[in-house]
Amino acid sequence: MSGNVIGVPAPAVQYRQLLTGAARFTNDLPMEGLLVGKLLYSAHPCARIISLDVETARSLPGVAAVLTHADIPGENSYLYHIPDQPLLASDRVNYLGDAIAAVAAEDEESAQAALQAIEVVYEPLPGAFDPLEAMRPDAPVVLPGYANVIPSALFECGDLQTGFAEAEVILDNTYYTSWIEHAYLEPEGALAYVELDGTIVVYASNQAPHRDRMQIARALKIPEHRMRVVTPFVGGAFGAKDEAHVQIHAALLAQATGRPVRIVRTREESILTHVKRHPVIVRHRLGARRDGRLTAVQIEIIGDTGPYENAGRFIMGFAASVASGPYHTPNARIESFAVRTNNPISGAMRGFGGPQVCLAYEAQMDALAEELGLDPLEVRLRNALESGQVTPMGGIVREAGAVRATLEEAANNAGWRERNKIERQPAAHLRRGLGLAANWFIIGMGRGQDNAGAILEMATDGSVVLRTGAVEMGQGVYTALATMAAENLGVPLEAVRVIGPDTDKTLDAGPSAASRQTFVSGNAVLRAAAIIRRSLLETAAQETGLPIEVLSLKGGRLYAEGELLNYTIPQLAAKATFANRPMHADGYYAMEFPEELSTKSDYIGVGPSAFGTQIAQVLVDVETGEVIVEKIVAVQNVGRIINVGGAHGQMSGGCTMGTGYALMEELIVAEGRTLSDSLESFLIPTSLDAPEIEIRLLEIPEPYGPHGAVGIGEPALMSTAPAILNAVSDAIGVRLNRIPLTPERVLDAIEGAKR
Amino acid sequence: MPEVEIQFTVNGISRKICTAPHRTLLQVLREDLGLTGAKDGCSKGDCGACVVVMDNRAVNACLVLAARADGKEILTVEGLASDGRLSHLQQAFAEKWGLQCGFCTPGMLMSSYALLLSNPQPSDEEIKRAIAGNLCRCTGYSPVIDSVRHAAALAREAGHVW
Repeated sequence: MSGNVIGVPAPAVQYRQLLTGAARFTNDLPMEGLLVGKLLYSAHPCARIISLDVETARSLPGVAAVLTHADIPGENSYLYHIPDQPLLASDRVNYLGDAIAAVAAEDEESAQAALQAIEVVYEPLPGAFDPLEAMRPDAPVVLPGYANVIPSALFECGDLQTGFAEAEVILDNTYYTSWIEHAYLEPEGALAYVELDGTIVVYASNQAPHRDRMQIARALKIPEHRMRVVTPFVGGAFGAKDEAHVQIHAALLAQATGRPVRIVRTREESILTHVKRHPVIVRHRLGARRDGRLTAVQIEIIGDTGPYENAGRFIMGFAASVASGPYHTPNARIESFAVRTNNPISGAMRGFGGPQVCLAYEAQMDALAEELGLDPLEVRLRNALESGQVTPMGGIVREAGAVRATLEEAANNAGWRERNKIERQPAAHLRRGLGLAANWFIIGMGRGQDNAGAILEMATDGSVVLRTGAVEMGQGVYTALATMAAENLGVPLEAVRVIGPDTDKTLDAGPSAASRQTFVSGNAVLRAAAIIRRSLLETAAQETGLPIEVLSLKGGRLYAEGELLNYTIPQLAAKATFANRPMHADGYYAMEFPEELSTKSDYIGVGPSAFGTQIAQVLVDVETGEVIVEKIVAVQNVGRIINVGGAHGQMSGGCTMGTGYALMEELIVAEGRTLSDSLESFLIPTSLDAPEIEIRLLEIPEPYGPHGAVGIGEPALMSTAPAILNAVSDAIGVRLNRIPLTPERVLDAIEGAKR
Repeated sequence: MPEVEIQFTVNGISRKICTAPHRTLLQVLREDLGLTGAKDGCSKGDCGACVVVMDNRAVNACLVLAARADGKEILTVEGLASDGRLSHLQQAFAEKWGLQCGFCTPGMLMSSYALLLSNPQPSDEEIKRAIAGNLCRCTGYSPVIDSVRHAAALAREAGHVW
């Protein structure tokens, strides 16, 4: 369903810079007199710092500054939900990614020499490395002053006892997932300098520039208006750049030296320090009648969150919000915990707790189908959420028709109902299987947080500047916003230039996270566009003497009830400007939550829903345990396709990332030490590992979405791993409960079944 | 440390530079010549973001000592367009959304360019193998493969002009 610009195939708006090498990422920005910034990271996952001596390092040639916790003018904290993570550790370190000192030097070699000259004496302490052990009362306290266990959410609905009493079958299983490294191609980096008027400027590869400004200003103890944060091109983020990484340290070093400083993490530093997707344990107890209808679910989610809270409470909370999946569950108890350990910090990564619980509920649906001898598709259809039903969290789901629609669309296009005809054993050592998984994701961050502003300006020639605080990190938000602006102002897409986040020029759009920007910034763009469109139409009405209601704009021209008039948008824009009508407009939008949408949660899991279904076909080598994903049929309701190439890219990228999650990606951590600290030990899919993906997008409009659109970035990934897991189970005839499905695990499962 | 003198051609322009012998081709391109198109994603040849074409072959510039480029012809992403016009390869990546965040794109383009030089009509399998050393976390690769296939078709129509 395309408009004049919406849905019409077009390249990404920033394609030219990206394809010619002109695009400047943080590490590409030219700067005179630049110092190299580096951080000294902890040598131990859990230790007391007995002494810290930086005097020798400070005296080395070429060293401009060495900062410790004592040199931070403001708050020594990243300032998450609670200020529990220091920027520079003072008396103890709690994981290998803790920074202890920040160095700025004339060149790389001098900076390295300074790091080596810093003397730290540690007293190693017993750490907590297993979340279940860390939950015990006698476990070592990971962070003095804070409990190891962070209760994140508890949702209850109906009557659990009655629900399980009504059940004719009960399935009690536990599922496990691993830490996942984001592995964006651009490691974290920031460049900071001091303007002549004292303003501190930071360019950073980030997801939340306006929040960065607040955090940096507090550490530097300067007012926010003396602080400017700019986001240049960002080489992928997937959640890990949502929180500050090195931008505060770079700003501290620039403030201390008065000179420009750039910190760019090496790949190894990046993997060791930034947040990972939570490894979780999901205990899932499900009760159902013989006809497959669910009577009760009891779910407990435990996530290893590392030493600091970061977003752990919210991620485990969101996991609980969507843990029952796109199914009606009248009686439920869902509880989640983030548990502190001395392992890597866990935080936001594409899906925000959703992929972990999706694995559990979709494996359970297959287990239920198997137990009852029913078709897995039929079990899902019998339980599919319907519009108006209340979820365990207390929300009322809108447009749940997409659950059934995506299930049917996937089944019809993957040959699901004819799956008994596929060649199950194409060779003696090979087994083929098909697996299905649906998903439910909630767009946005919840009540009181989902605001966005956008600025539009039309010049006298009808061309448009769009200023957005939303970060383009490859998800296509610039293109989506420019497309909506063009559609609503009646100009071609090429007439819109996007200026990205710069706190001196753009409005706060909140973070580019939670698959929210198309929705919230899109709505903000619509509101700004409405003001300028009105200026144009009022001008046109005055010029033509026609009533404003009959006039419309498209393709750069004026129409009256579909009839082309002899006015162009540039003519109208010039006349409107000289008539002093507003041609520059701010649009503000905050996600609206009807009261009934949520009764129990203020901050997680309230917002528009996205639904999808994927079916994977796999081939398993039962001699080696290797799994080959032959094909994925991925169906997602996107409400409205804004740009078809961008939407498909999100799906194919999500499915491929999900394939890595299912089969190969696993951060190996032993006693708090990350052993897979490079891209040769933490493996992500290459072009040879990526499956064939058939993408089918549905356009069932979301009533509050801009032009009906709803987010796609995170939903794209959700179903892939459970679909593959269910397919492998189907192929080898053994239920599985842990990802990644490495060859060893697959062979173990096959061997275990023989015993 | 004594410096070495290197004379090479970069994007059709003859260049002469002096540099410390331990520096890589990637460092020289980015820091000395200001050609920041090739990216440093891992510094050890795992990711392919730094791929450039050296004497018609794709190389990881982070693994090539600058001195090894002496007498060679180097092509970087900055050399693909001519007179402000995108090459067929670049045009194909734009049309088929063979890029998202764009950080892997310069390397992806140069690996594809080297493939098409030696094999103007590659099969999908050959394209996959040619870009197997270029990690991409955004696209899932199929849009990239579509782009290279499309580039081959565009070039064929235009008489094999890249």
